[in-house]
Amino acid sequence: MSAELPTGEVIGGAPAAGATGPTRTPLVGGNPGWAGERGDFSHLSEADIRGDSYVGRRPLDGGVGGAVCSMPYQLAAKEPDAPLFEGPYAERAEKIIARYPDKRGALLPLLNLAEEVRGYVGPDAMARVAEILGLSPAYVRGVATFYTMYNRQPVGRYLVQVCTNVACNLCGGDEVLQAFLEHLDVEPGVTTPDGNFTVMEVECLGACGFPVAVQINSRYFENVTPEDVPAIVAGLVAGEDSSDAADGSGAGAGASTAGGAPRRAGAGSSSGAPADEA
Amino acid sequence: MAYPFRHEKETRILSEYFGDPEARTLDGWKKRGGYQALRKAIEMGRDAVIEEVKASGLRGRGGAGFPTGVKWSFMPKEKTGPSYLLVNSDESEPGAFKDRELIRWTPHQLIEGALIGAYAIQADHVYIYVRGEFFEPAQVVARAIEEAYQNGLAGKNILGTGIDIDVTLHLGAGAYICGEETALMNSLEGRRGQPRVKPPFPAVSGAFGRPTTINNVETLCAVPHIINKGAAWYRGFGTEKSPGTKLFNVSGHVVRRGNYEFPLGFPMHELLYDVCGGIRDGRKLKAVIPGGSSVPILAAEECDINLDYESVIAAGSMLGTASVIVMDDRTCMVKQVRRMVEFYAHESCGQCTPCREGTAWVAKIMRRIEAGLGTEADLEKLVDLSTNMTGTTICVLSDSCAAPVMSSLKKFKDDYLGHIHHGACPVAAAAVA
Repeated sequence: MSAELPTGEVIGGAPAAGATGPTRTPLVGGNPGWAGERGDFSHLSEADIRGDSYVGRRPLDGGVGGAVCSMPYQLAAKEPDAPLFEGPYAERAEKIIARYPDKRGALLPLLNLAEEVRGYVGPDAMARVAEILGLSPAYVRGVATFYTMYNRQPVGRYLVQVCTNVACNLCGGDEVLQAFLEHLDVEPGVTTPDGNFTVMEVECLGACGFPVAVQINSRYFENVTPEDVPAIVAGLVAGEDSSDAADGSGAGAGASTAGGAPRRAGAGSSSGAPADEA
Repeated sequence: MAYPFRHEKETRILSEYFGDPEARTLDGWKKRGGYQALRKAIEMGRDAVIEEVKASGLRGRGGAGFPTGVKWSFMPKEKTGPSYLLVNSDESEPGAFKDRELIRWTPHQLIEGALIGAYAIQADHVYIYVRGEFFEPAQVVARAIEEAYQNGLAGKNILGTGIDIDVTLHLGAGAYICGEETALMNSLEGRRGQPRVKPPFPAVSGAFGRPTTINNVETLCAVPHIINKGAAWYRGFGTEKSPGTKLFNVSGHVVRRGNYEFPLGFPMHELLYDVCGGIRDGRKLKAVIPGGSSVPILAAEECDINLDYESVIAAGSMLGTASVIVMDDRTCMVKQVRRMVEFYAHESCGQCTPCREGTAWVAKIMRRIEAGLGTEADLEKLVDLSTNMTGTTICVLSDSCAAPVMSSLKKFKDDYLGHIHHGACPVAAAAVA
């Protein structure tokens, strides 16, 4: 396994355009609500709310066993052919299995890990997980297809999931979904020709107090209105060219742990983990 | 301090440190009195902890409201092998957004509560099941677990007492049904998240076939406070049958949405019009779902009630997760109920026929009505289907789908008839006029 691991998404950055209303927060790196309508907490930064400096960078090998399933890197630079369970990821897989009295318990965490690396879980990934856990590929497929977060085909660099369930729906969920589809000129579930975006409807994200909630890769965008959509899209595209500095405050705090490849922006898919390092 | 707004009337116990980034860290949590309750609990002994929690009257905050101390007392006293405490942080009930705030602002509050619970029931291992979509809160929990291990609060010999309790974060992968306790156990075991038939009950045979207790995040977060300050103090809040405080997570058409902590029994009218600033854009209230999308809808005139378990049941609904979804007079009930029903159709695990077939058929009929292609006979079909979907399945997902259908048909029939007779949404038409 090459030392170069896939690079991460970074959506943060300097404050951009101004507030759109009395209770709206300023646009920050294209994430207008980012942590909700901050109300009485506008003195807090995005990093404060997200806990960036506290979390630091989760190590690729998972660190302490109890925290090993945390799935930290839902990467923008997805590598559909990346090797699975090699290098620090092999270590992570071993630690995961050790947390359960029955190996089968590691099934979801290992599928999560496969998706984290590749952006989707295809038949070969399922077969590989089955082999590791001593299960049949059919069984793994049966379980994997039960859960909606396993993409069975590769998706765009940015997987945009708009909540249209009741609490968001009351506040314009359908309109935000429509705005993404129109702005990107794409059908639900279909990836844009440049490979950047897949937009879909999603069930309740559990951020009902901050409607409309939109999940893009691992990050929640909150209080999103249809008017915010162009800025969000532009911010994501621009983020690909930004430097590590855009990662926001204190992101390096936990970087010392083993295997912690920098979670930095930039680099299209070509500079991620090479699939041909063998 | 609730989040993102605060209100002077709040009683902030669990949410005191929302919005205080330092409270996340182990040092910050300890400075705020953290982990004293764990120490105290171990000094008290297991039985005394269970008795204290029983005496506090704390009821499960995940929706069912079962008394927590009683649940803990079901666990076998004689240890014959491993047993588990599962933390249900699969928060995915439409309308609910309280556990996310609890875990992202105060992860150590949860871990401390879970360790106390695990100690009391003699569990060897705590699994914190966080829904897969919560990548960010999960990172916070992961870091907090790491801190707990590095500081002798988890793993072997916690606090030097000779007690071993492991703590593991486990992430789901997108399935609402995994919030149901036995479905969560199946999911944890690496199976499809399908609810199990009870008995056997989890305290006898739960996760990995071993005695298991499962508690909601908010429930466990209340435990350290009860241990520190005592059951009598806790009973000083709330009502006789619903003691303590609760996070009310308010969404929809109010001016200030958010999490607010109040003693149970807080008046809904005051919550909506005072705390949350009333209905947005000066509109009128049409309906409220008081406990997440799975409970019956209340019409505006039914909303002059107190928010505790018994009062909401008396009003014909349920407090559930106290996830209050507010709808103004521009809301089309047909559209919103159709959306909720589609959710249940999507999330049905497919085991039981009334649910698998029922949710799908109700969704089809609701879509037809919304599109203006329904008939009055469809309304009878909806009642018939919903009746057959209630109380006929392993878990209550099916009932949860029927609840908004039945209650909206009863209380907002004009919305349905408008669609049927005019071929379009009467509410939308009125809004344009």
